[in-house]
Amino acid sequence: MRRFLSILSATVFSASLLSGAAQAGDASVPVLVPLTGFLSLEGTSQRNGAVLALKDAPAGVAVRSEVIDTGTSPEAAVTALERAAGGKVTAVAASMLGTQMLAMLPLAQEYGIPLVTVSGTASITEQGNPWVFRFFPGDAVTKEAHARYVAEELGKKRPAVIYQTTAYGQSGKAHLEQAFKRLGVEPVFEEGVDPAAKDLLPVLTKALAAKPDVLVLHLHSGPTALFIRQAAANGVEVPIVAGSAMHQPSTAALLEPAELKGVCAETAASPVSGGSPEVEAFTAAYRKAFNAEPDAFALGQYDGIRMVLEAVKGGAGSAEEVRKALSAGTHRGLAMTYRSDGKGNMAHSAVIVCYDGASRVPAIAKRYDNVTGVVR
Amino acid sequence: MTTLQLLVNGVALGAAYALVALGFVLVLNATAAVNFAQGDLVMAGGLLAVALAPHIPAHLPLPGIVLLPVVMVLMAGLGLLLAAAAYLPLRRRPPVAVFISTIAAGIILQNGASVLFGPEPRAAPPLLTGGTLDLGGLVVAEQSLAIVVVAALLIAGQQWLFGRTQLGRRLRATAQDPEMARACGIPVTTMILTTFALGTAFAGAAGLLLANRYFVTPTAGGDLILKAYIAVTIGGWGSVPGAVAGALLIALFEVGVSSVLSYPVALGLLYATLLVILVARPQGLFGEAARRRA
Repeated sequence: MRRFLSILSATVFSASLLSGAAQAGDASVPVLVPLTGFLSLEGTSQRNGAVLALKDAPAGVAVRSEVIDTGTSPEAAVTALERAAGGKVTAVAASMLGTQMLAMLPLAQEYGIPLVTVSGTASITEQGNPWVFRFFPGDAVTKEAHARYVAEELGKKRPAVIYQTTAYGQSGKAHLEQAFKRLGVEPVFEEGVDPAAKDLLPVLTKALAAKPDVLVLHLHSGPTALFIRQAAANGVEVPIVAGSAMHQPSTAALLEPAELKGVCAETAASPVSGGSPEVEAFTAAYRKAFNAEPDAFALGQYDGIRMVLEAVKGGAGSAEEVRKALSAGTHRGLAMTYRSDGKGNMAHSAVIVCYDGASRVPAIAKRYDNVTGVVR
Repeated sequence: MTTLQLLVNGVALGAAYALVALGFVLVLNATAAVNFAQGDLVMAGGLLAVALAPHIPAHLPLPGIVLLPVVMVLMAGLGLLLAAAAYLPLRRRPPVAVFISTIAAGIILQNGASVLFGPEPRAAPPLLTGGTLDLGGLVVAEQSLAIVVVAALLIAGQQWLFGRTQLGRRLRATAQDPEMARACGIPVTTMILTTFALGTAFAGAAGLLLANRYFVTPTAGGDLILKAYIAVTIGGWGSVPGAVAGALLIALFEVGVSSVLSYPVALGLLYATLLVILVARPQGLFGEAARRRA
């Protein structure tokens, strides 16, 4: 019920924004994200981050917005964008679902609307479309950090890589392979797992039979928790370095703190881990607004929309001017410093977080800033 | 030891799938209706258990056992609503109308759960303590044993109900020929409502048990109904022992075969086996040839 009330309050908030009179220089930022379907967990975080950023708009910038659920189909996303494009739009907080982004991109170019997203799908910034801006590090960044932490910090040379059979999993596995190769590390085991798999003991058993010195996961939230629980129940002592799903507070909530002992994970950011007064203020505001814990997707989308609003505050009055500001500017966000690599990839940093076994809040163990060398 | 460990896990997973298939078969046997909302009802049972768990007094040592009957009763009420909304108005229409209405009910449940509970995976409390037993190196989760025991009790109870009781005979008569049953004085509508209530109560039990071991999300129902449908198709349309055998066969592939080959290959082999069964024995392993499959 509290969840329902938080959604209701967000809707009321959106309505109140819409009721504001449109003025020259105002920002109109529709939020088109997947709130239902298999990506609703991440989409809700994305929505919350965008809504919070709009609520915290810089002084002097009046904001109009509405939230539209794009579900999981490309058609729904395109329809939502067409509906939003009916009025004057400054930028769109756009779906993190890659297939929806790919469908929206041609339309965004036609209408001239910047799409600000946290989608991890690599190909969205490989289309030569100047209207897309990704405020979440892609696999090229996060998997580099993942592999470097395993090889350089832990000194492991025999990783077993377990990944999801989805596009998300395949992409992560491919980048991990490349990163390990650059580091001179050869995985001793690699296997894909369907997200619907209920028992992960078979893959755990096969991985351990290959005598790895570290288990490297790139799984969705539920499977990550299931794997770690089964590893803990079977007394597995090989260290686990998981993908970004592990850093999500909702994943940690599925496990007992003791089961998390020694588990590490890569992520773009971990707002619940703190790190600066600004991040702690964001986390407090997020909890108050949504009665939930923020994750890296929420913070990335927050930073992205804040950069849009800062551009408006700086004088960008049209979508084209906002696009130029996002393309050429540098933004010091809460998670990291953002700058486009020329393709719309704005995020170039990642962190490794680790759990101590006493709580479900991880500590940041290692930062990998400016992995691509783009930020000056 | 590893093989034994995998066997235990496979039996527990098979029992979990059997629990899901059980309510599906119950409605199918008593009304000849294919309830595609069954997976979403299991999800609803799991989330109901998650929602009720904080209200169980902290001093009770086994909250899951306390929750089980409460969840089953409340879910039975949901089953009555489902029957009233998605089956009774359409029961004289072609079977496809009920397929569609139960699919619609499932989607409503899914989106309703997403709004009320959020999209995060959740874990319900365990039936017992949630710990593991170390039997000479064999690690067995208590919840796995609970799933096996509860599934066995409910399956036996259903078999007894349909085979040995007057209510069961009335339910079967209603399924075979509602008009003749009515002519014989059987309250057909009451029988149908009873069936939906029982089937949904079983879904609630399955949801509570599964949500602890395998977690629950609002979108979890789709995969569960697929597994239930496959189990019933393999085992024989409407056969309870067949559904159990089908569920165990699915688990054999997911746990046993995937421990040798990869998981995607194991799934591929499962579906290939399903095709072979459909060709060689269309009525399923335990089914009667007369039954019509949806």
